[in-house]
Amino acid sequence: MSDASGPTGPAAGPVSIDLARERAESGIDVYLAELDTSLIGLAPVKARIAEIASLLLVSRVRERLGLATTKPTLHMSFTGNPGTGKTTVAKTMAEVLHRLGYTRTSRLITVSRDDLVGEYIGHTAPKTKEVLKRAMGGVLFIDEAYYLYRAENERDYGQEAIEILLQVMEDNRDDLVVILAGYADRMEHFFSSNPGFRSRMAHHIEFPDYSDRELVAIGELMLREQNYRLSPAAEATFAEYVALRRRQPHFANARSVRNALDRAKLRQAERLVNSGVVSVEALSTIEREDILVSRVFDDNQPES
Amino acid sequence: MRLTQGAFSYLPDLTDDQIEAQVNYCIDHGWAVSIEYTDDPHPRNTYWEMWGMPMFDLASARPVLDALQACREAFTDHYIRIGAFDSEKGWESLRLSFIAQRPAVEPGFQVVRSNGPGRQINYTTRSYATDQPPEQRYRDV
Amino acid sequence: MEPTERSAEDRYKSGVMPYAQMGYWQPDYEPVDTDVIALFRITPQVGVDPVEAAAAVAGESSTATWTVVWTDRLTACESYRAKAYRVQPVPNRGDQWFAWIAYDLDLFEGGSIANLTASIIGNVFGFKPLKALRLEDMRIPVAYLKTFAGPPTGIVVERERLDKFGRPLLGATVKPKLGLSGRNYGRVVYEALRGGLDFTKDDENINSQSFMHWRDRFLYCMEAVNRAEAATGEVKGTYLNVTAGTMEEMYERAEFAKELGSVVIMIDLVIGYSAIQSLSNWSRRNDMILHLHRAGHGSYTRQRDHGISFRVIAKWMRMAGVDHIHAGTVVGKLEGDPLTIAGIYDTLREEVTPQRLEHGVFFEQPWASLNKVMPVASGGIHAGQMHQLLHYLGEDVVLQFGGGTIGHPDGIAAGATANRVALESIVMARNEGRDYYNEGPDILRDAAKTCGPLGRALETWGDVTFDYTSTDTPDFVATPTVS
Repeated sequence: MSDASGPTGPAAGPVSIDLARERAESGIDVYLAELDTSLIGLAPVKARIAEIASLLLVSRVRERLGLATTKPTLHMSFTGNPGTGKTTVAKTMAEVLHRLGYTRTSRLITVSRDDLVGEYIGHTAPKTKEVLKRAMGGVLFIDEAYYLYRAENERDYGQEAIEILLQVMEDNRDDLVVILAGYADRMEHFFSSNPGFRSRMAHHIEFPDYSDRELVAIGELMLREQNYRLSPAAEATFAEYVALRRRQPHFANARSVRNALDRAKLRQAERLVNSGVVSVEALSTIEREDILVSRVFDDNQPES
Repeated sequence: MRLTQGAFSYLPDLTDDQIEAQVNYCIDHGWAVSIEYTDDPHPRNTYWEMWGMPMFDLASARPVLDALQACREAFTDHYIRIGAFDSEKGWESLRLSFIAQRPAVEPGFQVVRSNGPGRQINYTTRSYATDQPPEQRYRDV
Repeated sequence: MEPTERSAEDRYKSGVMPYAQMGYWQPDYEPVDTDVIALFRITPQVGVDPVEAAAAVAGESSTATWTVVWTDRLTACESYRAKAYRVQPVPNRGDQWFAWIAYDLDLFEGGSIANLTASIIGNVFGFKPLKALRLEDMRIPVAYLKTFAGPPTGIVVERERLDKFGRPLLGATVKPKLGLSGRNYGRVVYEALRGGLDFTKDDENINSQSFMHWRDRFLYCMEAVNRAEAATGEVKGTYLNVTAGTMEEMYERAEFAKELGSVVIMIDLVIGYSAIQSLSNWSRRNDMILHLHRAGHGSYTRQRDHGISFRVIAKWMRMAGVDHIHAGTVVGKLEGDPLTIAGIYDTLREEVTPQRLEHGVFFEQPWASLNKVMPVASGGIHAGQMHQLLHYLGEDVVLQFGGGTIGHPDGIAAGATANRVALESIVMARNEGRDYYNEGPDILRDAAKTCGPLGRALETWGDVTFDYTSTDTPDFVATPTVS
């Protein structure tokens, strides 16, 4: 970028900016690429993250050139079902924010209500402030943030934590970015009851559930990393499993897939041990029956 | 007089921006940052009062600056210093210490002499401030 | 030359035999962790085979004599023989070789530098078949280090005692070297300390002469120190030189320094290794920082071909137990190549000194938690070089500005203040992340805006620097491929 020269005044300065070079120099592409490969699917989320990264890049350049009048708001909310990649994306966000100079470090601190709220009177403020001390300079990720607010209990200490958070977010300090995460409907209810939060959010990102196909692909990736594979018959059964499982309660996307595969591995092991002599290849193969055993396939009983 | 303890006492008193830069230097090295205050700056007074515990694992200077501000408001006429502790094997002590606030008037120290054997003198350094009880030190009389 | 397998009868037959065949050359020997290893730089006389020369050095620094002796066979002589196990030509020298020689731990008395040195350098340097010989480096086994107490105070505890963290310490030698009366001497100390230095220093030859008896110096110095402490609120000290003709007199002087409340005493290298160890023990028992002036070392450390490298002296002194040692300035008036000095500073200050051939450090040396020694940089340096000094020498060093303090046009206190302000401003800039080495002159000029004495100092000495080709540069150059 060329140095500022020419007549004085806010309009003076370089005529053009090489944003591609700015982007390359910032080093954020490494993290965006990593996000691409480590998370399957999530196309709308990834697109949104790329957009936000561009916005942050442009904001930084504008600020540097003296064009910006206020600092950008950086806090965000991530809504969606469990197991949809919110924490992974938060980590990427922390790196991007750091690389673009919005935070001093790429540290991500993950907390939930219990980390912020005390059990007795007077315990909450120090607890929340302790967390904030450690989080400053990075990103604070509050999981299931709505649990801070218990409308039915007026003396709930969560209110104190909420107040402290709102103040920290309002001061728009450069030192802390807050990401609130949780189920979409409950988050909506939380924002309605605590409107101060909504106004401080710069971005709301929805994390849709994975498609059946994506979940199967995630499962296969998990198995591959552990040096297991599904037999061709097992592949088909697993796809059926996923379709059935998602209609049942407490479905947690990738997490549910991981749990299911862990159970399949248990059943495989038992099956093999009872067989006596097995081929080495069999040790790494999950067969159809290992999955079929799941209660998901019983018509009557829901999977717990 | 001007108490010249600490790493930067011969320079003009540090601005908050300069303090922030020094604190960032410390946390970038992974050192714990402490705030201490005293009204008795005798050179052998090692243990100033602690303002809270040393802060570990910081990623930002902001908590230190906030704490410093609170300490200043609580003790407008005390000396306040910031220290950084390095726990690395073979060091395990402070790496930096500097004054972040000094009282408006610093009366300094008196040398008290008493005779020893031969031409020897026994010296005692006394802080004028400690002539007064704690609440009344550093008053502009 | 191959080592020959000889029967015992053959080996111990009377007569003269090449050292390499007496067992002093063992190319297959693998040194063990408990061996002391010495690295010699050998320049054999013309016609003398380098391996034979190396074996001869090994022999003459351990058990050999010029002819076979039957009494050897009353001993387990194989273990007492030093073993030359590697010989390599020195780069760019056709007449010189490095020789690695290993010594069994049993050869040495624990806790005795006198014995270590008498053993290794006691006999061998005058040996005729060698044109020149230099002890280049030594690897001391942890087992042997553990028999030494090491520095009585060390860098960390010194800082805790002085309550000074985060910057180099500042000192000055009292000038003129000789002739001041006690009272006038104390004036210099007072002015320098109240102006901003942490320490002042007796010169190495200030002991007790007709123009100033040591007791008077001590009394006036401590008056000055106490006044300066009260004037600044800082812990101050002056290195009271207790060097004397006998051990007893040195103890007497050290005791008096303690009675007067000094935090530090000083000795000269010429008092000898045993005296240094004794005073080190005394210092530990009496909470005293011990400063060592390396008086006389230049007579044997300076030439690359012959003598003892100062890095070996530095090792011995860390073992013997001193808290300060003069170790070179790089940019001052005395001899010192930046890379060699970096190696010496690493020897004094590190928990484990890494092997770095380009710094002349041939062995990795773990220090078994012996305290770290504070290097002292003294000789022809001034405030205008502060950024260079911090860059080359780091933070844990005493920077001594004798002429640079006392020669200040506005007086000693002004000189001291100039040095202190220069130092603090460079350190502050470094911590802020500035390129203090290249911006140093600007930083100093900025600081001089609010500090008249510093401005005057920069005017007076701005461009003075000492630049002669070093006589003792490392033999190895770092190449990108070295891993």
